[in-house]
Amino acid sequence: MIKYIYKRLLGMIPVLLGITIISFVIIHLAPGKPTTLDQAMNPKVSPEIRLRLAKLYGLDKPLAVQYLEWTKRLLRFDLGRSFSDNRPVKDKILERIPLTVSINSLSLIFVFLVAIPMGIKASLKPGRGFDNFSTFLSFILFAMPTFWLALLLMQFFCITLGWLPISGIKSLDFEYFSLGRKVWDVAWHLILPVFVSSLGSLAVISRYMRSSMMEALTQPYIYTAWAKGLSQRQVVYKHALRNASLPIVTIIGLSIPGLLGGSVIFESIFALPGLGRLFYEAVMMRDYPLIMAEVVLGAVLTMAGNLIADISYAYVDPRIRYK
Amino acid sequence: MLMLIRGSAINEMRKNPYLIVGIIIIGILSLAAILAPLVSPYDPSLIDSQGLLMPPSPKHWLGTDSLGRDLFSRLVYGSRISLSIGIIAMGIATFLGLLLGAWAGFYGKFSDTLIMRFADIMLCFPTFFLILAVVAILEPSIYNIMIIIGLTSWMGPARLIRGEILSLKEREFIQAERALGATDARIIIRHLIPNAIGPVLVNATLGIAGAILLESGLSFLGLGVQPPIPSWGNILIESKSTLGIAWWITLFPGLAILVTILGFNFIAEGLKKVIG
Amino acid sequence: MSQGHKVTGKSMERLLEVKNLKVDFQLEKQLIHAVMGVDLSVNKNETVVLAGESGSGKTITALALTRILPPNASIVSGEIIFKGNNILDFNPKQMSGVRGKNIAYVFQEPTSYLNPVYTIGDQIAEVIILHQKLQRREAQARARELLEQVKINDLDRVLTSYPHQLSGGMNQRVFIAMSLACQPDLLIADEPTTSLDVTIEAQILKLLLELKEKLGFSLLFITHNLAIARKISHRVYVMYQGKVVEEALTSEIFDHPKHFHTQELIAAYQKIGKI
Repeated sequence: MIKYIYKRLLGMIPVLLGITIISFVIIHLAPGKPTTLDQAMNPKVSPEIRLRLAKLYGLDKPLAVQYLEWTKRLLRFDLGRSFSDNRPVKDKILERIPLTVSINSLSLIFVFLVAIPMGIKASLKPGRGFDNFSTFLSFILFAMPTFWLALLLMQFFCITLGWLPISGIKSLDFEYFSLGRKVWDVAWHLILPVFVSSLGSLAVISRYMRSSMMEALTQPYIYTAWAKGLSQRQVVYKHALRNASLPIVTIIGLSIPGLLGGSVIFESIFALPGLGRLFYEAVMMRDYPLIMAEVVLGAVLTMAGNLIADISYAYVDPRIRYK
Repeated sequence: MLMLIRGSAINEMRKNPYLIVGIIIIGILSLAAILAPLVSPYDPSLIDSQGLLMPPSPKHWLGTDSLGRDLFSRLVYGSRISLSIGIIAMGIATFLGLLLGAWAGFYGKFSDTLIMRFADIMLCFPTFFLILAVVAILEPSIYNIMIIIGLTSWMGPARLIRGEILSLKEREFIQAERALGATDARIIIRHLIPNAIGPVLVNATLGIAGAILLESGLSFLGLGVQPPIPSWGNILIESKSTLGIAWWITLFPGLAILVTILGFNFIAEGLKKVIG
Repeated sequence: MSQGHKVTGKSMERLLEVKNLKVDFQLEKQLIHAVMGVDLSVNKNETVVLAGESGSGKTITALALTRILPPNASIVSGEIIFKGNNILDFNPKQMSGVRGKNIAYVFQEPTSYLNPVYTIGDQIAEVIILHQKLQRREAQARARELLEQVKINDLDRVLTSYPHQLSGGMNQRVFIAMSLACQPDLLIADEPTTSLDVTIEAQILKLLLELKEKLGFSLLFITHNLAIARKISHRVYVMYQGKVVEEALTSEIFDHPKHFHTQELIAAYQKIGKI
């Protein structure tokens, strides 16, 4: 098992390298230099400052050298300074991570709480009422643009019913709230975003669970379980489920890229100050250091997610864990 | 696959409701897109200063937007954009994927490792992040979007075709062709690809749906199709500011996207059944 | 080892009586009659062989005896009278009480019939806890004794192992230990040695028969291998295409087979030189 982890970690190095190369290539796809495009946005920037920026970013040196400089800085977690407000990119990212991580974690928890029982129930009586209903629901959820659903729900719950706040992470007079009220206020603002961001994964995971369970229930050891005199409950939940949920463990890790991508849109819609919204703002303002940093971060997080997924699976399946 | 073309396929069709419904939906949609000028009652950019933000009525079937443009016509023209972006983007992705995947699968060893590693690295980037970053640099336009989506979606088809070719490579009929002296290209094009095409087609269909979703998301963020060219995504931009006032601006474009995606998903589901 | 000299039949106590069992399978649009009116019986302390080729319906019959059937199969009619009660009338709770406790199974491919994510110790302890209401620790101790009984040496290692870590033969011993844990009246063994090496096969058979002598259960042994049938059984049923086509004492069936299929089966084994 340890050997397996070492091998995987080692295999990550060329991928990390590739990530930096591709990120670098992308950012230099611009027809002009980053600073020239920046001109259009910031007419106040004087020629001296522009020259200084160019030197700072080593833009006057050959590409290969630029790449090495950039990678070296990356390894020291020096992500440069944001074009828009000159603050260190690292700080801007760090202050936004907690929110995005929280929302996505909550959303994953919600999905698991709902999708897994749904998938199990559907698998027990395939082709019948509940299964057909959940299949239908999955199709719709899968095909629905999440931002549209967000808009519809906002229309209904925030405007028509007025039950939920329309945007933001806190109410206007947040400062005056007691601690308890503050906590509730944030939670209240998060209800809709968490719900919306979980819907896509809900469809996928419940289908996955369903087919995994159906597969497990046809296995020979299920006959053995019945033959021992176990009740239906025990056969399904103790024997089948344990096997069926093995691949689900990997899904947590594999959902990361999807969650990150999704957060760009719905953090924008709900005006939540998270990583996704930061990326969107960076793109709008052509804030290249910030864009690059987030692209690399996104890729690294995805890679980490895959790694965690693989290792979790190896840990949870005795057939892999013990030789 | 060829069975679908022959007449006796009607029986097969009846057993495959997904495929039928999907084809009907996409068929209607494609017709509307192609015949847009004939189908839409108004010019999509025609401003009716008398009728701003009008709800659906016999005059404007789906209402008007804040500039007084007929929503139905805009949606019909929008279908042109969405469908063409989806199809072309996926076309690029599938073509690239077939090329790279076939190369990797057929020639193996070093090419295989190189290409697959490249795919692995590309797959590490959250799609949206990647596309947004490139759009930030290259400026959004319809052509850029098609190309970008295409260039970032080749990995799926590549993996598929590589897998199929790897398993078909050693089969007897390929050995026979080799013995007869066929060139590599001939073997790949005439034999391997047609046999492996099934899953690739399913993937391509789903990919078109995905591309349309991507484009609508991009356009919604203002980084896709730029107004005044109507795209279902960018029509929805207005819905943010008209929430609660004009429900039709929110409902109909989204519904169009939903139904289109469903249509393609159904076709993919039906194709899966045909391939078996 | 022929049991022919022991007289069996109506004079002995009847443990299991199956009358006119019919089982159907629903496959896509087709209804398949897998078992078409089978009568069979097993007496106390008897070894009965159910012989036939694959597809003859013998495994379905065996599974039907405790109503463990795949979801697309159903028992259409018949009676299964075990210790005087028709278990087709039992509710699920009563069935749970019979399975694993009064009637137990040994299957063909032990490694795949064991759950890959639980240890051997846990899987054996499970059936003990279920029927004998022991605590986990006591059950594990009992499991250890059972493994000793089936002549397994490295007890602690095996108890904490997972099925994939053990050989087929070892797993079959484990399975036998597990089935006999609650001292069943009837053990149904469905081709228990078919997937094992020949040498292991002999060991397992020997083990089974020794345990049968020692613990006193009846054995319903399902096989297509008539050489084994001749060696171990009192009586033989031959199944062909869902029906029992011949039933006789072992001593008679090999010398005077009546049905053509029985003759075919015997001939097949004679050719290989096994009988």
